[in-house]
Amino acid sequence: MKRRIITLCYKKIIDANYSDEWCRNVFAATYQEFKMQAQFYNQQKKHTTYKQMIDDVSGANKLNFLVSAAIIDYLKELNDQVPDVLNNLGRSFLRFRNFQFEIIQSDITNSASHAVAIYFMSQPLIWHDTVGDQMITSENYNDDDCEMIINQFRLSENLGIYTLQTLEI
Amino acid sequence: MDRKLFVKHAFSALGIVAVAPLIHACSKNNDSASTSSDESSGSSSDVTTDTSCSVSPTETGGPFPTKQPSSYVRSDITKGDGIGSPLTAKITIVNSKNNCTALEGAIVDIWHCDVDGNYSEYGGTQMQSTNFQAVHWLRGRQVTDANGLVTFESIFPGWYQGRATHIHVHVYNAGGTSLLVTQIAFPDTLAITVNSTGSAYGYTKGTSGYTYNNADNVFSDSVAKEMATVTGSVDKGFELSITIKANA
Repeated sequence: MKRRIITLCYKKIIDANYSDEWCRNVFAATYQEFKMQAQFYNQQKKHTTYKQMIDDVSGANKLNFLVSAAIIDYLKELNDQVPDVLNNLGRSFLRFRNFQFEIIQSDITNSASHAVAIYFMSQPLIWHDTVGDQMITSENYNDDDCEMIINQFRLSENLGIYTLQTLEI
Repeated sequence: MDRKLFVKHAFSALGIVAVAPLIHACSKNNDSASTSSDESSGSSSDVTTDTSCSVSPTETGGPFPTKQPSSYVRSDITKGDGIGSPLTAKITIVNSKNNCTALEGAIVDIWHCDVDGNYSEYGGTQMQSTNFQAVHWLRGRQVTDANGLVTFESIFPGWYQGRATHIHVHVYNAGGTSLLVTQIAFPDTLAITVNSTGSAYGYTKGTSGYTYNNADNVFSDSVAKEMATVTGSVDKGFELSITIKANA
């Protein structure tokens, strides 16, 4: 039987309008780390914004990697659970194993302009069906004659399918 | 092919690591509800029921969320793979604006390449694994003590085309404002020795094409001021010491 194996990607944007303490901490930590690391790429003190450095300074795109060190321990706090994404019962269900971090914009003179994105890539799921706007997935497959636990949820603006593979299993 | 095995292989082809209990066949035999002996062994006399109407005690909200330091903040910055000859780097920061007295509370970042000449950086936004320890290796951050000293446990750096062996250093004041960006140089003879005799420790590039300090664009005009004192051997490990002067 052919089954569709998908991974999902959830994009979480964290900016000055943070909604909870975790986001506030990530916002503050990444802004502080950006201000520190940016000084290496701005030794002439010509620039104030991330975009100016990216446009004008060779290697400044490494700031994404360098600043990502500020969020490592905050990601550990999540215990592999993708934040915000809930099933139709309102429960967190999606686990991640990989992530990407990127700076959307920042300015060493204005914290209000600081914004970052964390992309959470889920572990593989079996996509069984779609009912209305609800995806029906499971982490497991089973034999034909027994029940299994599924998760029912809706894709959204920041939650989409990242990879798809159809397998004969 | 066994279904479970097939799916496991398929996920591997996707470059995805399947995590237990992903892909688990039906196991009706395991469905029976069980109560562990641990759960049922507690005596009711262990718990006293509070029948009063006094306010319940306040407890802390738990560990989540808490403020966390950058993952750079550690003294052991090695990859953990055992490759490379150990190097203990003792870096003293002094204040050149204050008769070179020790600078306490300064933040010191260092970073350097591995035995192959590679840095732990991906040049942009690439995917990182939740194997968090494997990401920012050979990069560290420490705060100077009352003697202006920070200590890192690392490895003797490798080298790459166009550069002599070196360690990058960025010194900040306690508030994170940059005071100095500099590099630490190594004696040429030592770097040649490590890279010509240290293959058992991973130094397999040899020395063909190595850039000596006097031909290095960074060190050629200033190497005397950036040269570390390094003692030890490939087999026993090295200890590096250097005093760096910053304007604080």
